[in-house]
This record gives sequence, structure tokens and C-alpha cells, in this order.
Amino acid sequence: MPISVYIPTPWRRLTQGLGTVEANAGDIAGLLEALEASYPGLKDHICNERGEIPHHISVFVNREEIDALQGLQTPVRDGDEVAFIPAIAGGAVTLSQEQIVRYSRHILLPEVGGRGQKKLLAAKVLIIGAGGLGSPAALYLAAAGVGTLGIVDGDVVDLSNLQRQILHHVDDIGRPKTASAAEAIMAINPDVQVVPHQVILSSENALEVLSGYDIIVNGCDNFPTRYLVNDACVFLHKPLVDGSIFRFDGQVAVFLPGRGCYRCLFPAPPPPGTVPSCAEAGVLGVLPGLVGVIQAVEAIKLVLGIGKSLAGRLLLVDTLPMEFHQVNLRRDPTCPVCGDHPTITHLIDYYEFCGVPGPGH
Amino acid sequence: MIKIEARLFATLRRYRPEVSLNEPIVVELAQGSTVEQLWQTLGIPEDVVKQTFVNGLQADRSTTLHDGDRVGIFPPIAGG
Repeated sequence: MPISVYIPTPWRRLTQGLGTVEANAGDIAGLLEALEASYPGLKDHICNERGEIPHHISVFVNREEIDALQGLQTPVRDGDEVAFIPAIAGGAVTLSQEQIVRYSRHILLPEVGGRGQKKLLAAKVLIIGAGGLGSPAALYLAAAGVGTLGIVDGDVVDLSNLQRQILHHVDDIGRPKTASAAEAIMAINPDVQVVPHQVILSSENALEVLSGYDIIVNGCDNFPTRYLVNDACVFLHKPLVDGSIFRFDGQVAVFLPGRGCYRCLFPAPPPPGTVPSCAEAGVLGVLPGLVGVIQAVEAIKLVLGIGKSLAGRLLLVDTLPMEFHQVNLRRDPTCPVCGDHPTITHLIDYYEFCGVPGPGH
Repeated sequence: MIKIEARLFATLRRYRPEVSLNEPIVVELAQGSTVEQLWQTLGIPEDVVKQTFVNGLQADRSTTLHDGDRVGIFPPIAGG
């Protein structure tokens, strides 16, 4: 009489709907292999990338949890009853009925599926700036079910923001942007845990703020922060999805650890006052929607590990003729921060008003 | 002489304000001209921070241009 294995409901689509299957093995590790041989894909649902059983899945042999026995080496023999019990409560572990409906259009995509959706729910993405770029990126990432969204912004909502910053509403004027962002996100998807960082990023706090996230989406509105975030991502080996806008032009690039950074392209920020900001030059309100959504797509592709990342390319968005140009980027071995002999080895605070003309302009 | 097609982006458009919708600017240069000579011909000052791509590949000031090359020049932008 073989070992009897209880399969929880969410995984039964891999076992032709069977709630109990049979297998032969000498221990739990062997049992997982035997199950995988009969029901391909099942082991991937049970184990993490390292082949371990994650904490949110409990395995019982004759009603005893294997953590209290010998873990994966717990012996099993004919006639034993083994049960795999995933934690049910929301989150990234098992999709609830409501989540299966909410994310059904994702789950239908073979490239996403239930597994990909769970990856999204387990992902931690930091959005820098709850402004023109951060707004659409945050809303779409939230709607897509990215489980943890950090929002960094030290500003309050101003009437002039509402032309493009769709996280914020009339009633939010004067409120901290992180507060109104958190509310807007929760209104779209309560699955998302929003972590507000109501701070101005600086060399003092950047590493600490960024370190808790898997992917950084940069939608800041000034050169000092853009360089600070780039450098912090290099130091922390974090993927960076960078976007910027000016009038009718946008730029998007993805920088993966070891494969170049923003400084390979522009080694140092332009001198203060030489490049006007959106506050001076204006910006088409819809443009950050376009660019921020491209950033969101790239972030999701990185989480899911699908498609061809924009890494190694810079996308130039030119909205007046509606043309997209792309150029190939390369890691610069002489880059001051990610090159072979870096000269910048700690975070730098650039002149805080760079990008805005100083007195006399 | 060689003919190249140049496009300016974002803040660099100010050097060719007459060009509408970012149509390529056709520039005639002497055989053997470099990116640096193209900048001069277009009137983009030396000290303006910019990146130049020739046929989609990153170039530098000394990159030699050839007939029919498509050149894009763009600055860093920071709006968000």
C-alpha cells in the first residue's frame, strides 16, 4: 500500500482534480521528486527556488509537522499519510477566491498564471516620487497586485500637480503625497501593503530606504535624486527602472546590476541651472502617464522574469510626432560608480536646487 | 561630402527651433568628419551635457561619421 498524499485545492489542477494521490518514496525529499514525476509542476508550487519548503507551507506525516521530525529527510513508508497544507490567509501564498477573480486576466496568461501572480504578490517595489511618473506606475503596479509598494516623497500635493499626478485628488491639496498615494492605492487594491516614506532622499537615508525592496522605480523630478538613486542601486545591487520627462520628451531605461548604470550614460549631473525643470519648462500632462506605465511594465517583467527587459537600451519617447527611438547602452568600464575602478564609492548629495536656475537667472 | 541625418531631443531642440516635429536635420559634412564637427555645425555648445548615438550605438566626440549615418543627440532630463 503506497503513501497517501493530500493535495490542497489550489494545486489540484495539477493532479487532474484529485485531492488525494499516491506515491512511493523513502523520505519527504524523495516523495517530492516522485510527485513531480507524476504531476509536473507540483514541486514548484511546494518548494522555493532553493528546493526548500517555505515557511508558509506545512507538511504533515501522519498528522505530525515535519519541522518537528527530520524536515525533508523525514522518513515515510507505505501506508503513511502525508499532507501539504499551505497557509490560506491572503498574501502571496495561496490565491483566495477573490484574488483568483481579481487577477483572472493575469492568471489566464500562460506567461503570468497563478505562479506569476503569486510572485507579484510577494514582490516589493519602491517608487521614488509620487508625482507624474510615480502616479501611473503606482496605480498600475497596485492594480496588478504587486504586494508591497513603497512610496518615497517628501512633498505635499499642490493644485498644479493635478494636471498629471493622478494619484492625487482635489481634496488632497496640502496633504502629504505619500498619504494621498496610500489612499488611492488602497482604494484600487486592498491586497497591496503601502509603505509610505515621507522623506526627501539623501545620502543619509537612501541606502536604508532602498534596501528593503526588490526593484526600484525612479520617478523623481530632479538631478540630485536621480544620481543618488542610481548610485544607491549600484551599491545595493538593485535593478533600477529609470524614467524622466521634459516637455514632450521622455526617456526610459532599465539598469541591472553589473550591466551599466545611469552614470555610464551621463557621468555627472549637468551644472545647476543649465537644464530647466518641468516647473519652468512645462510638461505635457499625459506624457508621464505614458512613460510611467512603460516603467511599470518593465518592473512587472522583471518580477515575473518574462520577455526581454529594456536593460541595455534607452527608449526615447517623442510624443509630438509620436515616435519611439531606442539606442543601445553599454556599461562603461571607466564609469565613476560602476566601472572597473570606481572613483565614487559612497553616496553624494549634489546641490539641492540643481536643475532649477539659481539667483540671477 | 557626406550627408547625415541628425535628430535633437529635449532641451537640445532649442538649437534648431525651426525644425518641427523632430524631423531629421540633414547635415552635409566633409568626408572624415567626426561627431564633434557635427556638434559644431549644429551649433550645440561644447559644454552642454549630451550623448550622441550613431545608428543606435553610443558614440563619442571622435567617432567618424559616414554618408547616410543617422545620429541622435540627447541631453539628460530629470523631470518626473
